[in-house]
Parts: sequence; structure tokens; C-alpha cells
Amino acid sequence: MTRDLVREYKGGIRAVDEVSLSIESGGIFGFLGPNGAGKSTIVRMLTTLLRPTSGTAIVAGYDVVKEPDAVRRRIGVALQDAAIDPYMTGRELLRLQGVLHGLRRAECRGRADVLLGRLDLEDAADRRVATYSGGMRRRLDLALSLVHEPVVLFLDEPTTGLDPVSRVTLWEEVRRLNREHGTTVFLTTQYLEEADQLADRVAIIDGGRIVADGSPAELKAQIGFPMLSVVAADGSTADDVRRVLAGFGEIVPGGREGGASVRFPGGSAAMADAVRALDIAGVRFAEIDLAEPTLDDVFLASTGRHLEGGDDAAA
Amino acid sequence: MSHTALATRQTAALAWRSIITTMRLPQAWFPALFFPLVLMAIFTASFGGAPGNIPGFPPVRGFLDFAVCGAIIQGVLIAGTSAGAAFATDIENGFFDRLVASPTSRVAILTGRLGASIALGVAMALLFIGIAAMFGAQVDGGVMGIIVVVIIAALFAAAVGGLGVYLAIRTGSSEAVQGTFPLFFALLFFSSAFFPLDTMVGWYHTVAAANPITYLVEAMRDEVIGGATVGTALSGIGIALGLACITVGASAVTLRRSLRVGS
Amino acid sequence: MMKGLAVSFGLAGRNLLLVRRVPSVFIPSLVMPLFILIATAGAFHGIGALPQFAGASYLAFTIPMAATMGAGFAGINSGMTLARDLEGGFFDRLQASPAPRMALIAGPMFAALVRSVFTTTVVLIAGMIGGVWLPGLWATLIIYAFALLFGAAASCWAIGVALRTRTIQATPIMQLVVFLSVFMSVAYVPVDALHGWLGHVATYNPVTYILTASRAAELTGSVIWSETWPGVVAGGALLLALAAWALVPLKHLARR
Repeated sequence: MTRDLVREYKGGIRAVDEVSLSIESGGIFGFLGPNGAGKSTIVRMLTTLLRPTSGTAIVAGYDVVKEPDAVRRRIGVALQDAAIDPYMTGRELLRLQGVLHGLRRAECRGRADVLLGRLDLEDAADRRVATYSGGMRRRLDLALSLVHEPVVLFLDEPTTGLDPVSRVTLWEEVRRLNREHGTTVFLTTQYLEEADQLADRVAIIDGGRIVADGSPAELKAQIGFPMLSVVAADGSTADDVRRVLAGFGEIVPGGREGGASVRFPGGSAAMADAVRALDIAGVRFAEIDLAEPTLDDVFLASTGRHLEGGDDAAA
Repeated sequence: MSHTALATRQTAALAWRSIITTMRLPQAWFPALFFPLVLMAIFTASFGGAPGNIPGFPPVRGFLDFAVCGAIIQGVLIAGTSAGAAFATDIENGFFDRLVASPTSRVAILTGRLGASIALGVAMALLFIGIAAMFGAQVDGGVMGIIVVVIIAALFAAAVGGLGVYLAIRTGSSEAVQGTFPLFFALLFFSSAFFPLDTMVGWYHTVAAANPITYLVEAMRDEVIGGATVGTALSGIGIALGLACITVGASAVTLRRSLRVGS
Repeated sequence: MMKGLAVSFGLAGRNLLLVRRVPSVFIPSLVMPLFILIATAGAFHGIGALPQFAGASYLAFTIPMAATMGAGFAGINSGMTLARDLEGGFFDRLQASPAPRMALIAGPMFAALVRSVFTTTVVLIAGMIGGVWLPGLWATLIIYAFALLFGAAASCWAIGVALRTRTIQATPIMQLVVFLSVFMSVAYVPVDALHGWLGHVATYNPVTYILTASRAAELTGSVIWSETWPGVVAGGALLLALAAWALVPLKHLARR
């Protein structure tokens, strides 16, 4: 069980500002936020790479500051990109990782073979990492973090920069790990789809603070109703649209360009009313759609901004 | 304005730019000053007992007098390699293309770079002589001797500069040019730049005796320690000039060829 | 403890593997001592006529210096690899593992020692080609020992620099200091032939005693304790000081 009571402070600027979390073991926990929000800093603190300025963190039952080695024995770490040596082969790196964790030689070899198979790296196992594609490197990174069968797995932006196919493959592997081995997974991401799809619980972080915390469904439900977005056409303005839509619900800040968005309790059934109202007011519109709330909406509601890269996930 | 007058102005401008950019980048000028001077100091302190006690050692006031010219040549060599690397960087980052696309005379591109090398070579020679003088060295050949030393240094600077440009154009990579420095450093060691030729033995002696740098340095050195004649001065100048002609010529040819191909 | 040893060997193995894989980094450390031996012995051959040499062959005199310098540069390569790992992020993986912190340093240092053996051997072979035979078993071992001592010290130095600067751009600093430490010493002549300021500096430089002791073995062909102990003491002190230099930032690794 990972129970974190974390308050951190780094450099003159608080990169992470009094963050407190509590994470159930055996689940997948997602940490969502834009670049520079403090996600990596938190991961580095939880994986004993960085000392918190204040506060405590307990990972896998041990305090990261007081008993770092005990923590290290139980966690697997796959950080952002280049945590691998381009001049070695995949197999060599896996064996080295085994040695670092104190496994016996035969065990090292065995684990390396098993993981190469599981992550579909057997063909490339004896080639230098420099020749691997981006997706292969991430898989190797994941394999390296699993050598010692960790209790908690930390993934820092595991699919950033990957093509859609590799991304889905990685998601599958993470789910399988969680399902079959009961590994607790702590992942950070800037992609809302990733958090939405993978995580049992999500915490949204912005500027070093947690702005929302709960399962994706809970968070979206908090926002409540779906959102109706209308974009004005020639002859009408966003203000015109806003005036009409205001009558149906709460206007959402930061709506579409050239248009407005509103919380629409009526749902699809009431859409006809909205269209009629716009028509009566003489407002012409080029686009109109009704969307279920997304985590981006959650983020928007808490911070007034969109999540950067949130639309990036190839849906 | 006539064509040559314009080309001259461009040369001067480009030379000035090269000089300024060199001085602004410590990596460019620091090694050329630091290593020769430090080695000169260490050699002088280590081999202070040599003059008078070693057969084959020419009569000198002190080892420092003996060492100055070797240091100058070493400094010019290091500076020249940095210049070549800088030229390669210009190619890498596109400054070279911008020059080519401008009405700059093709000749000026080369002479500008060489002009800078020569100017820096002259400055270095005078600086090193000055520093050595502060520590008690004297130039036996007087003002005329200093002039000869400076001329040879300037021509050698042009030679190394030309070689640097040649390598820069052929490899297009500043790393590759920098990588050649060890070779030249070796070449310098396999000469009499640091110790008299007559004290060497065996195959080493043969190699050093065949190295043009040996005669270059000795011509300069004779001005400082005495024993120089018009003959030695001219032969030193001649060798430096010959080397310069070869490398500058090669670089000019390569430059023209690359411009025609449009690389 | 046992695990620490296994980890150290594992990391050392990786370091040595890199020698073959990235030759461009390691060829200089092979060619350089060879060049120093040949160029120094060839160019300054005449200085051997000075009375302070007592008729010794200048080539034999230079062998210990070239071996020591070569070991020093072999040691630096450990620091360079560490700097590259720190810059590239591979070190994060090492740091997040339960490997003992010491092992993260001991591994690269051990690799440096192995490389130092290699460079020293190359120098000795080159010396033999030049006509200077091995000075006997114990004396040869002494030469290796001092070269390794200096190599270990140099690797501690470079590792300390790497941990503090975390970039491969610090390589020139690593090299310059090793370079100067040998040159501001008895690199070219025995200590009693040194003039002026260098004579003073050299007496405070531990490398002086290392080189003198190594040369005593090389030139006399036997191991005389009175000649050797200053080198041991100076070299040992140097190694301890630099080991501290390397280990202290290790404790604060997580502060950055």
C-alpha cells in the first residue's frame, strides 16, 4: 500500500507545493497535468532520486527518506526517455539491472529472458539499443523496471512521443501487469486519454498543486452535465451565441474560438430547443455539438485553462 | 568602387569578424596561449641545466631563449586548428552559405580568414617574445631579428590557416577538424621545436631532420639565440612561404570546387 | 557487502564493454601514452647527458612517466562515462536501484584499474621494442602498482568532477588537471635537476614521489624500500583525498 503524505518544496520556487495523496495498493493511479506542473518532480521524490524539502512519503510501506534502500528494492522505475545506455544490447542491460538488484547470475539471465519474451523484444535482444525504435526503447525501459518484480511501478510519461500503435501496446502491458501481478502502478501523463483509459484513480496537478482527485468517472460526474458547443458562422458573433446559450445553462469559460460553450442539462433531447432558440434570435452557426464531459473539462473547471496536449491522443 | 578595392574591404571586414569571434570565445584563444606558455615554463625549469652541459646544445643565454620560438610555432598551430574548426562551424550553421549568397568576392572569403590568422599569428609572436623578455630572454638579432621571427610566424599562420580551411571544406565538421589537432601536435614534436636536432639519435633524428618545421623553427630561433645569417632567415621564410602556398592553394582550389558544385 | 562487490563487478564489466563499443573515446587513452613515450624519449634524448641522470637511459627514465600518464588518462575515462550517464539519464536508473552507493563508484573505478593495466603494458612493450628490457619481476610489479595508484586517483578525481558538473563538457577540466599534475613535477628530469619555481612546486606535488619511486624500480631493477616508501605515502594520501572528493557528492546525490 502506498500511502503518501507529501509536502514538498524545491529551490526558491515551490515546484511541488504541499501535495498530499493516498493511493490504494493494487490499482493504477494516474497523475495528470500539463508540462511543468510538477509531475516529474513528484515521481523523482517518490523514487528516492530527489529529497523532499519537507514532508514525508511512504512508498510500499517504507519511508523514502529514512529507508531508501528498502523502497528501492520494491519499486520499479521507468522515467522519461533515455534511461538506457545506447551502446549496450537489451539483454545486457536487463542482466545488469538484475545484478544491480542483487539477483544471482542465473536469476539475472532467467529474468532477462522472461521479460524479453513478454515485451516482445526477443528479436532485438542482442542488438544495440541505439538501433531500437522509440516504441522498443519504452518497452525495454518497462522491462528494466520489472526485473526484480516490484510491488509498485512508477511510469513517468510512458507514452510521450510514441506512435498510436505503440501507445496502445504499452497500455495493454500496463493493464496486464496490474491484473495478473497485482502491481500497483503510478503513472504520470499529459494525455488525458491515457489517464482516462488506464487509471482507476486520477489526480490532476497544476503548478505544483493538486486541483482534483478521484476516479475518472467521479471527476467527470462532478462537472456534471454534457457540454454544448456552438461556433458562430458569418454574420453572427460569439457574443450572439453566448447570449442565446446563456439561457440554457452555465456558460463554460474558455469555450471554442468564435463561439461559446454551455453546460447543457437537457442533453441530446433538448438540443432541438437550443437550435430553435438560435434560429429565432437570428444567430447563424457553423458548428454545433454536444460532448460528454472529459477530464480536460475537469481541468478547465478547476484551473480555467485547457490541458495542453490534451487533444493530442489520436482517438 | 573597383573590384579589387571592394574585395579588399570585404577581406578586411571578414578578417575583423573572425578576429572578434575568436576573441569572444575562450575555447578559441585560451588553449593557444595556455599550452605553449605552460610548456615553455615547464621546459625552461626542467631543462635549465641543459645549455652548456649537453653536447650538441647551441650556446644560449638560458633555456628560455631557446624555447620561445618553439612556443610561438605551437601557439600558431593550435590557433590555426581552432580557426579551421571555426570555419567548419560557419559552414555547419549556414553563415558560409549566407556569404556565398551575398556579393562577397569568393577570394575574400578565403583571404579574410587567412588575414585573421596572420594578424593573430603576429600578435601571438610579439606577445610570446614580450613575455619571454619579461623573464630575462633577449633577442640576439635585435629589431631585425624580431621582424624575421614575426614574418615566419605570420607565414606559418597562413599555412596552418589554409590547411584548416581545406580540412573544414572537405569534412564540413568542426569536430573532425579539431580531431586533426593531435596529428599536428605530433608533427610538432617530431621536429626540433623543443630541443636541438643534434641531440637526437636514431630514427627519431632522421624523421626530425626531414620535417620542414625543424628548419622553420631553427631559422626563427637563430634570430633569438644568435647564429642567424641572411641565409638562414631567407630559408626559414622560404619554407614557411612554401608551406603557405601549398595549403592556401589547396584550400582555394577546394573552395572554388565546392562553390561550383554548390555544396 | 557481497552484493556490493557483485554490483561493482557488474558495473565495471559494463564500463569495459564500452571500451570495445565506443572506441573513439578509448583510443586516445591507448595512443596517448605511446605517443608521450616516443615523443619525449626521442625529442629530449639529449638531456640524458646531464650528470643528474648518472648515465641512465632516457628511454628507461621516461617509461614510468608515460605509464603513469597513460593510467591517469585511463582513469579519466571512468569520469567521462559517468558524466555521460548523468547527462543522459542512465544514472537515474542506477541510482533508483538498491545498489549500494559505493558500488556506483567502485565499479567505474575498478574498470579504470583494468584499463590502467592495459596502458601500462602497452608502454612497457613499446619500451622493450625500443631496447629497454623489463627491470625484473618485482620492479615491474612496482611500476604497475604506482601506475594503478595514479590511475585510481585520477578516476576518483574525474568521478568527483562528473558528479558535480553532470555534463560531458567537463572532460577538458578532468584532463587538464591530470596533465598538469604530471607536468608540474619530475616529468622530464629528476628532481635535483629542476630549476627555480618548478623545483618548489614539484616537492609539494605527490606525483613527484610516485614518479621517482617508479623510476627507481625501473632504473635499478630492484625494489629498495627507502626509494619506494615516499611514493607509497604520497600516492596513498593523494588517493585518499581524491576518494573523499568522489564520495562526498554521492551522499548529496538526491539533493539536486
